[in-house]
Amino acid sequence: MNSAALLAKRRYLALAILSPLSILLLWTFVTVQGAVPATILPSPAAVTASFLDMIQRGYSGIGIWTHIGASLWRVGIAFVAGSALGIAIGLLRGRVPAVDALFIVPSELVRPIPPLGLIPLFILWFGIGELSKILLIFLSVLLIMMVNAQAGSRSCALDALRAAQSMGAGRWQTFRFVVLPSALPQIMTGLRVSMGTGLTILVASELLGGDRGLGFVILDASSFFRTTYVFAGIILIGLIGLISDRGIAYIAKRVVHWEGKR
Amino acid sequence: MNPSVRVLSIVPDKPVEVAVDETGAPAPAKPMLKFERVGFEYDGRTIMSNVSFGIRPGELVALLGPSGCGKTTILNLVAGFLQPTEGVAFIDNREIAGPSPDRGVVFQAAALFDWMTVADNISFSLRCAGRPKAERRQVAEEMAALVGLSGFENSYPYQLSGGMRQRVGLARVLAAKPKVMLMDEPFSALDVQTREVLQEEVLRIRERTGCTILFVTHSIDEAVFLGDRIFLLTDLKDGAFDELAVDLPSPRATGENRLHPGFIRLREMIYRKMRH
Repeated sequence: MNSAALLAKRRYLALAILSPLSILLLWTFVTVQGAVPATILPSPAAVTASFLDMIQRGYSGIGIWTHIGASLWRVGIAFVAGSALGIAIGLLRGRVPAVDALFIVPSELVRPIPPLGLIPLFILWFGIGELSKILLIFLSVLLIMMVNAQAGSRSCALDALRAAQSMGAGRWQTFRFVVLPSALPQIMTGLRVSMGTGLTILVASELLGGDRGLGFVILDASSFFRTTYVFAGIILIGLIGLISDRGIAYIAKRVVHWEGKR
Repeated sequence: MNPSVRVLSIVPDKPVEVAVDETGAPAPAKPMLKFERVGFEYDGRTIMSNVSFGIRPGELVALLGPSGCGKTTILNLVAGFLQPTEGVAFIDNREIAGPSPDRGVVFQAAALFDWMTVADNISFSLRCAGRPKAERRQVAEEMAALVGLSGFENSYPYQLSGGMRQRVGLARVLAAKPKVMLMDEPFSALDVQTREVLQEEVLRIRERTGCTILFVTHSIDEAVFLGDRIFLLTDLKDGAFDELAVDLPSPRATGENRLHPGFIRLREMIYRKMRH
């Protein structure tokens, strides 16, 4: 790497670290001034204390790793199942008009409905257990991935398709070696977006009741005005979001190594 | 030092009009590629109609004309990407029904698979045919050597220059051992030096493989340098086009021919024809 590129990379890293630090600084300043009551915006020190307390002693008698595990399980299974099915249907919709015709009205009808609006129905249909929570996240991941995979499969260049056919590729080979790789950049972006959305829906889904999960922690703490714990829970979810997003982006960069290089 | 240049103006349903310096015999009866009154309409618009010609095995025919004249459409019809709306196109006396590895295409923008290495790009047709890995690797190496890309087998297309990318495009078509190679302005986006080197490469490869080539271009120089015959296309709506036979000294695959008086004369003649 040349020195200019190295300098640019260092500058990027410095800014990426400086920005959250300055937010923290501003936050400290506002709370130290006493301008806002602690129940509205607790100080970073108080939040840190609750955060550490939560890590050590758990929340409402349940260990923090159990809460984190419950949430990760819900998001994880919904993310894997939703993206697998969404990618499969989306790719098919992009290449087979009949499949697109089957899905276009139902999927576009459901997509604009906020998941919160579906909660009463899901309670009626699937109860207040795990199934409702997972299905709610699953549905939003599914719809996002369907749109991305479909658009991705259509981004395939005509010449690439023709080249494959003139080299003897059958339908499946054309799909496997040309359509799918062409769609991968957009699928990877879709995975990042749907993971973020999945975590958002997680909190909403844990409104459905139950006694564990990070969403539960936040909602329970807020109903008892334990604002520092609300913040601690929010920070935990944020960290999970940050780590998972960086993880997917890292994998995407390696899988879609050709993107933006031509 | 006076190469025989014969010009036949072919207009269907009309006798041959002009015949300068009539030396060569008419085409042998068995063309490898044949159009019989082929027409093509798109969106209710006639692109061409009543187009007939035959191309002999081992011939290199250049389709020369301005953009929009229908030269790429002819190529797409031969490739099987498009179907004629009238008439029939034949390869080896069989009607062309769709794309097939016996007609390889080199595209203007290479159209390589960026997600595959050079070796995997080159041996793609063998992969489709279910050939074993060792054979694929061997053919990839042979073809890479043939087009001067030895040592780049494990690179990705985006790591190569434009000229090298077209070499990969050439190699992957050759790996499929086609009867006909279809080249759609493959060098038009390259700089002059690279283009000339690759033109000589095409002639060299043809001498080695005996492949029949249909070469679409809008460059007079390229058509004259490469072609055994040149189809001069302006408007194919009535099926009429001029045809010129090029007779330059062999071996053709040397840059010397670019300075040959016959080359310059033919170039001038085509220039005047196209201007008028």
